[in-house]
This record gives sequence, structure tokens and C-alpha cells, in this order.
Amino acid sequence: MRDRRMAWFGIARGAAAITLALGVATIFIFLSSETPWTALRYLLIGPLVTFRDTGISFNAQYLYQILAAMIPITFTGLAVTVMFSANQFNLAGEGCVLTGGFIGGILGVYLNINSGWHAVVAVLIATLACGLVMLIPALLKVKLGASEMVTSLMLNFILLNLVNHYLNFQFADRSKGATMTKPFQPTAIIPSLVPGNSKLTVGFIAAMAATALVAFFLYRTRWGYAIRMIGINESFALYSGMNVGGTIILSQVIGGMLSGMGGSLEVLGRYQTYLWRDLPGYGWVGITIAILAKNNPAFVPLAAFFIAYLNKGCLLMSTYCDVPVEMIDIIQAAIFLFFAAEQFLSGYRQKLVVKTTQEDLMKLDASLLNGGENHA
Amino acid sequence: MEPSELVVQMKGITKIYPNGIAANRSVDFSVRAGEIHALIGENGAGKSTLMKILFGLELPTEGEILVNGEPATFASPLDAISKGIGMVHQHFMLVPSLTVAENIVLGMAPRKSGLFIDYKEAVRLTMENAEKYNLHVEPDARVADITTGMKQKVEILKALVRGARVLILDEPTAVLTTQETVGLFKELKALREQGFTIIFISHKLNEIKELTDRITIMRGGKSVGVFDTDSISEQEISRHMVGRDVILTVEKDEATPGEVVLQVDDLHYVNEWGKRALDGVTFSVRSGEIVGIAGVEGNGQRELVDILFGLRLPEKGDARVGGKSLIGQPQARIRNLGVSYVPEDRMTFGIAETGSIEENVISDRFHHRRFNRGPLFRMKELHKESDQLILDYAVLCKARSQEVGMLSGGNIQKVVVAREFSSDPILIIADQPTRGIDVGATELIRKRLVDLSRAGAAVLLVSADLNEVMELSDSLIVFYEGKIAGCFDDGLWDDVMMGEYMLGIKRQSDEEIGRASYA
Repeated sequence: MRDRRMAWFGIARGAAAITLALGVATIFIFLSSETPWTALRYLLIGPLVTFRDTGISFNAQYLYQILAAMIPITFTGLAVTVMFSANQFNLAGEGCVLTGGFIGGILGVYLNINSGWHAVVAVLIATLACGLVMLIPALLKVKLGASEMVTSLMLNFILLNLVNHYLNFQFADRSKGATMTKPFQPTAIIPSLVPGNSKLTVGFIAAMAATALVAFFLYRTRWGYAIRMIGINESFALYSGMNVGGTIILSQVIGGMLSGMGGSLEVLGRYQTYLWRDLPGYGWVGITIAILAKNNPAFVPLAAFFIAYLNKGCLLMSTYCDVPVEMIDIIQAAIFLFFAAEQFLSGYRQKLVVKTTQEDLMKLDASLLNGGENHA
Repeated sequence: MEPSELVVQMKGITKIYPNGIAANRSVDFSVRAGEIHALIGENGAGKSTLMKILFGLELPTEGEILVNGEPATFASPLDAISKGIGMVHQHFMLVPSLTVAENIVLGMAPRKSGLFIDYKEAVRLTMENAEKYNLHVEPDARVADITTGMKQKVEILKALVRGARVLILDEPTAVLTTQETVGLFKELKALREQGFTIIFISHKLNEIKELTDRITIMRGGKSVGVFDTDSISEQEISRHMVGRDVILTVEKDEATPGEVVLQVDDLHYVNEWGKRALDGVTFSVRSGEIVGIAGVEGNGQRELVDILFGLRLPEKGDARVGGKSLIGQPQARIRNLGVSYVPEDRMTFGIAETGSIEENVISDRFHHRRFNRGPLFRMKELHKESDQLILDYAVLCKARSQEVGMLSGGNIQKVVVAREFSSDPILIIADQPTRGIDVGATELIRKRLVDLSRAGAAVLLVSADLNEVMELSDSLIVFYEGKIAGCFDDGLWDDVMMGEYMLGIKRQSDEEIGRASYA
């Protein structure tokens, strides 16, 4: 009884946070736009439909684009979920997306495998490499006690500059005006799932499979169990005889691998050459997603869909109306605030708790009157 | 009864915590001016919550408080203090690195030229009040260096200096020796003579009979009744507390000790404050016996247990189980040797608070082959194991998936004990296994401990509860200042004698102490 009511409260609180955040966005839209109603229409339902003079019709290509945009952020969301579950505030997912994308891209250009395995091998090597990269903050944490938050944040910029260095001096295609590699070989391109230019690739299936695997890993294996217990109480885990250091390293390596896989699938699925010159931002979004999903891997795709939908809505709004695309940052920040605020609606929660508790107690009293002696 | 004689009245107090625990349900509680009033009940009965509300640490969900007949709302302890209510917590709220005088004037320090703390004036104020209330303390001693009994006096003085007329004492004797308790009672009675009102929270029936005028008994968050102490027997009190008669003695057969399981040799350790916490401790625990360690807290027991479980490294000495050293070993290895450990601080080491009961009972065995198939858990086996343990140890809960943090203290400890006792240990280190839990859980845990030892396990019992060590142990070691002050065989002890060894008044000869070791 209480559990179900509290679960509904959790969902209602999430919905309220989103509604309030959109409310904040609406205020800014009305402040900045000449045609606020049109802008709102694009933001809220634009991502799914085409507006015509004759009315509105469902737009499948838009939906595919949203699903395609979910691919990298589902991976980073899962990565952050695993690391946060072990109470590791590792922020190098961002750098790993970039590094994974770069390594995947280079292998896409230079590796010679004449079949679809080319893409698979490129992605897997990128994945493993990012797992190794994550050993740096993990080992510094376990062996020297250095805060993984600081080291991983710094690591992002080391990775960015390393990648840029090698891109500029080793792999840049000098025949092009901009800095980019030679084009990927066709065998390295991640195949598309649907016709059209939506970039909805096999990577989406990989993201869903990764979601299922991570959920199983965290809740159905001994390593996932150890990760979660360390996340709840490290002293307890140590005292129980768990390998705390090893598990902390494992969680961060898995986080790196997931981020690297997301980055390489994105690069080989969306582009023809490697051309990122800056951190792509997917790692940061992954943190938002993990918080929206309350560190539950099963909710990560839902949160990723929500963010992708919102991004698309903002893009349409800024394309067809006079609202700047930066609005997305305001909305995300507002959602983040309301979600992260533990005290949000806590007064209402307390009332709910008092009510259910009193009901439970009355039932207990009644059963004691009837049953009498059974309470031992 | 004229209402004006009631210095404190709490009417219809209900408190529901954010986690849904109803700690108080329409409790009425009142105290007459100038009495010592006992508040008694099992752990989880709601005594502490009621007192926290009276001291302004918690806001009641419903109900009102009257002080001297006038309604009062306490949003913080400052409000309570301004109404003349003071509290001495079970865990002292003192700054160890400051002196006694500094602690007493903390937050209200006398000043010199408006800027600097006038330490001399603080000492004078301390001395004056110590004299006035007959609570003798050394103003210049650092709190870290004084005894527990002395710390308690400092706490009481602190409250009195702040103008308290009503003193709440939360289980004040839990940490004291017999002699110190006698001293405390004298001081409290003297305070009563001077017109102070004292609310005395305790589990110990004999103390309540000796000290108090009236008793309020709580059970399950409600007040069961108020009684004049003279007109109610200990048996009646205990019946009201638990709703049944409690047998506080444990039946046990004579021990038949076997081989030495744990051998501790000449352990030396200096703790983080530079205190010589262990100074050449040597003893053995044999299979089939319970060896109790008695002593005032802070005489090396904590450090000993930590060393045995690999949490600290001694400077010198060794501890072996079955011939293999425990020193500096990882906990997994120590557990593999057959050692299990009921930690003193159960919320920090014993459980993962937001984890389920199941996740908590499997934490030492989740990697065993029978719970895993390939990379996956065999969920059915895990469920079976946890359901069995919940049943065996009578953990009161809705389901194995319930959050451990939502259980009562006694049931949380049952979860810890269920795990630690069920792994076929050859040595059980039980550190304060029944501290602060209800009588029912205490009985169950003590009985299981005796059963396990009679089935062949070696048990090392460390407890600040003198009755517990005396009741359960087959032989007893008293710690004083990091050394063994005495060791005793079954039945050859009483609490007065123990107190003398615990306070360092007496010490056995080296030959007698040597009997603790069988190596």
C-alpha cells in the first residue's frame, strides 16, 4: 500500500518537475519571442509532426532523428549510472566519448577488413581503449586516494588536446579546407535501420542491448551487487569482505567502455570522416540522464528519449521562430534543479507519509483487537 | 494535582518521521517540579523521540507542550534552554580537544575587552558552579583525557550553567562503572534536594527503583501508564514494558573448552591520539567457550577488536586463528579463516542502510558457488537463503525486499547477527552485540551466542554492559588502560569486584593474568 503510493509520488514528482521546468521555459519564450504560441507549439509537439496549411501530420523522419539522437546519450547515461551506483563521481565520460569516437574513426579509415566486421572491430577496439583510459582516474583513486572527480575532469582536457594533436599532425586530410580525417571506408560505416537521412543506425539496437545488459549486470550479478553495496556504504562492503578497490576500478572501467562505445558508434554512424574538434557534450548530458533516471538503467532510455525530444523541439523552435537555441540549456538546467532538489515537494510527501502511516496503524490496531495474541 | 506543580506537560504528542515511522502516538507525559521521573521502555518505544521533542531537536507532528503551565513551542534547543530545559545526551556533546572549562562556557564564553575569551573567568565560573552543585571537575583538564564519568559531570554542569531547571538524562549509566553510577546517583539526589527536576531515561530496572519518584512507561510509541515508583515491582514494570515477562537470565550448560582457536600475543598499539591503547595484551579463546572482555569504554577494547579484524595494524605482537596470523590481512581472508564479526557500530559497518534485507544478509557469501551460475546470480537460491535467515532469526519485516534502514534497531541487529552467525564461524567476535536494542532481540541474540559456543565455536564477547558479560561469559578478562587487569573463571565474580578492576583500583598479579593464555 505504502510502497505503491510512494512510487506514484515519485512519478508525480518527476512529472511536476518537468512541468515546472517547461513553465520556466514558457516564461522565457514569452519574454524573447514575437510569436510565443507558435514557438511553444514547435517546442512541445513539433518533434513529431509536420505543420501544413491543411493541418498537421505525423512525421516519421523526425521520430527517427530523435531515436538516432538517443544513441550516444543512452550510452553515456548508462556509463554514469554504473559509476554513480558505486558512488564514483567520475566525469571523464565526456573525454571517453571523444577518444572513443577518434579511435573508432581512425580505425574506420585505416583498418582493412572487407566486411561488416570492420565496423564491429573498430567499435570494440575503441571501447576497450576507453576502458583502459578510465584506469587512470580509477587507479589514482584506489592507490593514492586522489578524488576521481578532480582527476577525471582534468583528464577530459588532456584527452581533448591529445586527440586534437594527433588529428592535426598525423591524421588530418591535407586536401580538405577544414581539419578532418580521410573519409571512412564504406565497410566501417554503421548501417542504417531505416530509409532516409535520419542516422538511425544499428547503434540504436546496440544502445537498447547495452541497457538490458547493464540492468542485468547491476541487479543480477555478483559484480553489480558489489558495485551497488559499495555505492551505498563502502565501510560495510569492506567489512563484509568485498574487494572494494577492485570493484571501484571495475565500475569506472565499465563507465569508460560504455562511453567509448557510444562515441565510436556516433562517429561511425553519423559522419563520413572524423571531424570533432571539441568535446561533444554527450558525457555531460549523460549525467543529466543518470539523475533523471535515478541511477536505474531501465529508465535511462526514457530519460534519453525525453532529452532528445526536447533538443529536437528547441532546434525546430529556433529554426522556425525567433527563439534562440540556447533555450534548451535553460530548460535542462531548470529540470535538473527541480529533480536534484531533495526538498522539492517534501512537505506534500510528509503529509502523504503521515496519512499512510496513520492508516496502517489503524489497520494494525484493528487486527490486534481481532487477532489478539499473535503479535510476538 | 494542581497544574502549577507540573513543570512540564506534553499533551497528545504524535511524531511521524519522513520515513513513515510513527515514533510517538498521542503521548501524554508530565513531570512534577522537584522529582526524579523515570522514562522507561524498550528501544524503539519512543522515549528518545519524546525527549528530542521536549528539547527542541524534533518538531512534533501533533500535540502541545506546556512549561510551567504556559504553552511553548520549541523550534530548536535554544528555545528549550531558554525555558530552563537541559539535556545530557547518551553520546556526549563535548569538544575533546578543549578543556573542561572551555566546554562549559562554549557559546557563552566570558570576554575580556569584548574580544578575547576570558579563560580565567571561565575557570572561576566552572569552579563556582562545581562547588554549588557538588559536581567536582578539573577545569583545566582536556576533555579527551578525562574519564567517562567525569565527562558526564561536565555535561550536567554545562546544562546547569545554562540555567536548566529540568534536566533530561538519556541513559546516563549505560557507559558508567558501578562505582561511578553510585556517585552519579548521589549527585542527582543532591540536585533534587536543591529543587531541580530530573527526567531519567533508562533500561535498567534496579536503578529506576533506587533513584526515581515516579515512572512513565512507554511501549510501541504510546504511554502505557504513570506509576509511583514505590507502588510498582520490577516484574510489573517489565511486564508493562514488553507486554510479557522477560527472562533476563540465559540458561547455559557448563562449557567444555577444546583447542585454542584465537591466540593473541603481546599486542601493542598506540592510537591516533598518541595514547597507548594496547600495552602487551596476551590471551586465548578456546573452542566451545565464551570469553568476555569487560572494561570501561576506551581502555583498548575498540583497538583490540579492530586489530583482530584487520582494520588497524599493531606496532608489535600477533593474533592468530588456527595458527594463521590475522594481522593486516584483508577482511575476505579473515572471514575465510572462519572469523565472523558483529560490529559495535552497526549502522556504519553492519548494514547498507538503503539496501534490502536480502542484500544485507548475503554480503559475506554472495560470491559463493551455490549462489552463482556462470556470471549470473541464482536468484532463487538467494531468495531461499534470505527467507530462511529472516525466519530463523525472527526478523520482523514485510518482505525480504524491504529496506533495512526502515526496520527497528533490534531488527536491524537481527539482520547483522543472522548473517554473522550463519556462516559456520569458528570464531565469533561480538562487539556490543545487544547495545541499545529491545529485550526480545537481546534475548534471541544472547541465546544464539550461547548455542553457537556450545556447538563448538569460540566466542570473544566485548561489551560495556557488565550484566551481559557476567551473564554470558565462561571466563572474563578485565581491560584497564590497555592492559589486562584481571582474569576470572566462571562464577567467580560480582559487579562490585568487577568495578574495582575496571577502575584500576585493583590489579591481579602477572601469574594470575597469565592464566588468560593457554599457548
